[in-house]
Parts: sequence; structure tokens; C-alpha cells
Amino acid sequence: MATVTAAKKRTVRINGCVASAQAAKYADVDVIAAYPIRPYTATMMALAQMVANGELDAEYIVADSEHSQLSIAHGASSSGARVFTGSSGVGVQFAYELYSPISGSRMPVQMMIADRTLDPPGDFGSEHTDALSTRDMGWLMGWACDAQEAFDNHLMAFRIGEDRRVLLPQMVCQDGFFVSHITSDVELPDSGQVKEFLPPYKHPYPLDPRHPVSHGPQIMPEQGPPLQLERARAMEDSMAVIEEVHDEFAKIFGRRYDPWVEEFMTDGADVVFFMQGGHAVTARFAIQHMREKGLKVGLVRLRTIRPYPTDRVKDVLSKFKVVGVIETNMGLGSPSSGGVLYADACAALYESDKRPLVVSFMAGMGGEAIVLKEFYWMTEKMLEAQKRGKIEKRTHWVGFEE
Amino acid sequence: MATIEVQRQLLPILDNPNQGARFYNPELPSSEPFVPGHRTCAGCGPSIQYRMTSKAAGDNTILVGPTGCMYVANSSYLCTPYNVPWAHTQIGSAGSFTAGVAAAYEAMIRKGKWKGAYPNIICEAGDGSASDIGLASISGALYRNHDCLIICYDNEQYANTGIQASSRTPYGGMTTFSPPGPEVPEGKKLFPKDLARMMAAGHPHCYVATASVGYPIDLMNKVRKGLNHKGAAYLMIYTPCQKGFVYETPRSIDLGRLVVECGLYPIWEWNPEKRAFDYSFRPQSMRPVSEYLKLQGRFGHLHAEHIATLQKFANEQWRMMGVELPEPLLQAADAKNLVNMASAAEATAVAETV
Repeated sequence: MATVTAAKKRTVRINGCVASAQAAKYADVDVIAAYPIRPYTATMMALAQMVANGELDAEYIVADSEHSQLSIAHGASSSGARVFTGSSGVGVQFAYELYSPISGSRMPVQMMIADRTLDPPGDFGSEHTDALSTRDMGWLMGWACDAQEAFDNHLMAFRIGEDRRVLLPQMVCQDGFFVSHITSDVELPDSGQVKEFLPPYKHPYPLDPRHPVSHGPQIMPEQGPPLQLERARAMEDSMAVIEEVHDEFAKIFGRRYDPWVEEFMTDGADVVFFMQGGHAVTARFAIQHMREKGLKVGLVRLRTIRPYPTDRVKDVLSKFKVVGVIETNMGLGSPSSGGVLYADACAALYESDKRPLVVSFMAGMGGEAIVLKEFYWMTEKMLEAQKRGKIEKRTHWVGFEE
Repeated sequence: MATIEVQRQLLPILDNPNQGARFYNPELPSSEPFVPGHRTCAGCGPSIQYRMTSKAAGDNTILVGPTGCMYVANSSYLCTPYNVPWAHTQIGSAGSFTAGVAAAYEAMIRKGKWKGAYPNIICEAGDGSASDIGLASISGALYRNHDCLIICYDNEQYANTGIQASSRTPYGGMTTFSPPGPEVPEGKKLFPKDLARMMAAGHPHCYVATASVGYPIDLMNKVRKGLNHKGAAYLMIYTPCQKGFVYETPRSIDLGRLVVECGLYPIWEWNPEKRAFDYSFRPQSMRPVSEYLKLQGRFGHLHAEHIATLQKFANEQWRMMGVELPEPLLQAADAKNLVNMASAAEATAVAETV
């Protein structure tokens, strides 16, 4: 099939949404399920044009809702096709019913998320609550911080999710606007490299009339636990595959990512930010400025949240005195009364002999940029806690306090 | 882009000279994609329909089963009645999951990833899925014209969950969500959604038809016509539910004929080429609705006025089919000429104790 065979390695200036569309094209997806909602829509617009131009041979379906998008993806993946879909904000939640059935039937559907706040009140900005609310449904999940990383994550996620040892769906997330709509240089690979990296999708038990199988029959209560255990094990077992695939990716494409956390200027740091997504780009600048002033601050960016790299997070965060979790999500009534990242980080640290102080920052809410002076303010709060040996309170709403 | 042409199946239409008559054609296909041994109730209309449908389709077929009786009662883990691939999907995903299967096969065959003739892709949705929660997904699949057949096996209620009213439950039908009582003596007050007509009117490029388990050859031929139609097709099939309708189990096929003979379930086809309804199907005889109602416990509470209301409804259906109404049916639409159901007083007393 003459889909991307002519492509040679080249650098283009594109935004995160288009980078995701490019990745789907390089993966030679068979079925695409679209439904409009900002900001992820731009990915589907780009794919529609690729199909119209004859650059990509895929069934492009404009669904009647996100629920239908995910159902289409489920049906197509169950039949043996490589499937790509996506959404944002309340769209992610409209499809909620399908997340468990898709991972439960072990269909490696790929979904692109460009984050958007949930309603109320119809805010366009990026907040990670949309995808995070589905984090325990059996999908592999992680955030990119720029367009290049988004492109790379999509390719790696296909390879990981479709691996016979894993067979799980993937949510490949990026911040709405900060990543999805900001253009930057993205290196697009030679199609031969992708061919070498990503073998064709072949599910072991597709819906094929020559080998009849029944998917998802009704079960008795005692038949439930073994199936749930298998799914839990697939999630655990994916960790080795994730590491393997990141190594292979580095060999073929020359870009090496730590699959779990990125550490930035953590050498000799006393206090660190712990966060995911696009605001980490601003954090890097802020940290460089503060380091120049002699403040011992660093950044630990979580790249994969499901499966959660518990041991790695424990080992990395235990090196510091204070950890400031930047949430960019809502966890109303959660343990910190802030976001949901705090609880996962604290759970990882519980078994540590050297537990740092942990404080949660509600920043970037509503899709506001987290500006440099807010990073300085948060650093100040962490340094005060270090001096005091005690946090002032579990959660600070940044911008609402002195 | 070099692509491979998708080859489609063409199924022969069975000989059916007396379509409305009360007898079987013995020349049925021998294939049984839906085998016995499942856990449906005795006399289950939907499973009778399922056997006929899958028999008509043959072995190069994929079945999609949204949640409902035909999922829960048929499949049980490590034991399945399907000899062809089958997948459960969510009750609201009838049309969308099916669309995904169809799209996958279009793409995989075209791109050389799967070799063979395009399979029959059939969705078996109950009326709860088809008329309520999955309506939009089915409309989407029909509108986009995926090459598939979507069947609504219409037992006029949510049966699997314990008999609740759906938008297909008839006026006067008792369900656990539409019980009769002193304030609401008729039980269900609303008339059913005219689902098949909605599908034909809104998706005129599709083959759409109604059928009943009372007329197996007609039903199987419509399955084949729907599958042969290149694009989306929709069938709404009357399938009585012994548990919900409350009748003697051997009478499922009788009810499938009576409902048509009483004018409560018009049998028709929408011809997408001519863009016209075909109302030529005629049952062997015409009867008043009371002959159908009196066999079922779900109508046992009805008073003369309610029966007359249902007769008026049936008469409207006959007129729509272009049938001239005989005098007895016109008289049966007047409550003065009718009596309450024999069990009506008893039913009211039972309802009052709840």
C-alpha cells in the first residue's frame, strides 16, 4: 500500500495536533473515528485532509458522538484493524462507558487527548481532569510536553499497546493549546524507520469468520476476578515492554526518553516540582533562572502515569527535601483537597525510608498559563517548608494567596 | 493508491409464493450459525428470530450483540451458541460498534490485510437499544451507509432487566414501569415510537423492512435482501416475549401471525431504489385486536375503552397500508360494542394490593 512509502526524514514546523495526525499517518491506521470538540479537533482536520489527498488509506468516520467514536474504535479494533481516535474535555467523558470494555476485551485502540477543562462553565483551556478521570480504566496513559514528544509517544504507544504481552488501549495526552496549538520543529522520520519500528497490527483473536470467536460473553460472578486479575497483570507486565520499546525507539530514531520521569536540573536540588505535560517547558526556564540565583530547585516530570512507576517515583523523589506537585487537574474532596496527582505521589513515597515533605499546587487551572513568577512563588513556598521542616498546608491555590 | 476491490456476497432469495399464508417452506438452508443449548426462555421470540436470521445469512457472517436478552441469555463465559464470530457491545453502541466492524473490513480488504469476500455484518439490537439508548448510534450507521444489516428484535420492552417499558411498548401494555392502577387503568399511556418508519424516512438510501417470526420465509428473505443491499439495511422484527407478554409458550408463532392479522404490526418494505413503501404484504385473514390481546396477560387489565383505542390504532395502520376496512373492524373501534377483558376486575384488584 502506497501510504507513506515515499517519505524521507525531514523537519517540519507543526503544532501538537498535526504532529499527532502525522503519527497516525506514519502508523498507517486503518480506521479513524472523529467527532468535533476543541482543541483536539485539529488532529482530525489534518487526518481528513490526508485521506482526501490520498496520502493515507483509511476509513475516516465522522461519528455521531464520542460514545460512538469509541464504540466504532472498539468494533474496528476487535475486527483486526489499527484504530485511531481522540477527544477533549467533556467529550472524553461522554465516551466514558467504553473505556473499561475496550481495555477489558484487550483491544489496543489508540486515543489522542488534547486536554480541555470540564464543564462548568465551558472553558476552552487545558486542565488534565478529562483524561485523568479515566486513569483507572485499564488504559496506558502519559503526557507529552511538546509536539515532537507527542509524535514520538504516539508511535511508541502503538508498539507497546499492540504487543502480545500487553494488548491494552492507550491514551496519548498533550495539553490543549500549550502543546496542541503551538508550533515547533518536529522531525518526521523516514517511513522505513517506522516500518522497522512498528510491525503491522495483528490481534490474536479478531472477529474473523474463518476462526469464529465470541468476544465479551456474560460471566458469572466467580468468573469475574480471574479476568480482572489478567487485566491487572497486563498493566503490570506492560512496564517491561514500555522500557524495551523506549530503548528500541532510541536506537532507530535517535531520540532517547526515560519512559517514566524526566529529571531536569535535579543534581544537588533540595526542592523539586513534580508535574506532567506542557507547563514543564516553562518550569525548565524558571528553574534555570532560579538556579542562576543559587536556589536549589529542580524538576521531575512524570511521563507515564498508567502504569504508575511507583518504585521509580519513590526512588527519585526520595532524593529531595520537598516535593511540590503541580496538579493542573481537579480532585474535589481528594486527600489533599486539590488534585489527584498528590495521592499517587504520596502512595509511592510511603514505603520510602527518606520521605520528603509533599505539597500540592493548584496551578494552570482553567487553562491559564503558569507564568514564571508563579513558579518563583511556588519555589518560595517549598523553600519555606524546607526551612520550617513542615508544610504550611497540603494544597495551595496558586494566585489566590499572598 | 493501489487498492484491492472489495468482493461482496449475493444470497439467493427463497421461493415464497404465499407470503402471508400460515405454512412453512421446508427448503431452509442447513447451516446453523446459532446453535441450541443457550439459556433463553421456552418459546423465546427473539431467539427464534435469531436462528432464522443467522440461517439466512450463512457462515461468512459476523454478529454484533448489544446488551439485551440476546446477549445475556445467549452467551455465558466458556459457553457460546454462536458458530460465527460474535461480539458483545454496550447497549448504546449497536450502530457504532457495527460501523467499526464494517469499516475495519472495508479497509482491511482494500489494503490487502484480509483476504476473502466481505462478510455479512449483522447487529442484533433489542428494541430498548434500537428505539431508545442506541437510536443515535444506529441512525449514524444508517446515515453513513456502512455495508451492514441492523436488526431490531422487537419484543416491545426491556425484557432482560425484568420487563420495563421501552418506546416500543404498545399502548395498554403492562410492564413493571407501566403498571395499571386506579389512576392509570390502561397501564402504558403512550403509543409506540414508529421506529422502522423513522429509519426509512430519515435514511431513504437504506433498505428498511418490518417482519415477524410468524412469517419465517418472509423474514429470512428480508434478511437476505438487507444483506444483498450494498450499504446499510434495517429490519424491525416482531419477536414475542413469553415472560413479558405472559402467554402459553407454544403460541409464539401464533402471536407472530395474529399481531399482523390484527393490524397492530404492519409488514412492509421500503424500496431504496424506487424511494417508495411496498405495502403489498397481506396476511391470510383480518381480525379484531381483541383476538390478539386476549391471549396475553400484559393486556389482561384492559377495559372496553382501551381495547377500542387499540382497534382505532390498528384501523389507522390498515388504512395506511391501503386496505379497505370491513364493517366489523370499524364497529370494534367503538367501546359500546366491546366488553372489558375477562380478567380486568381481577387485574385491578391485584394492582391495588401492590
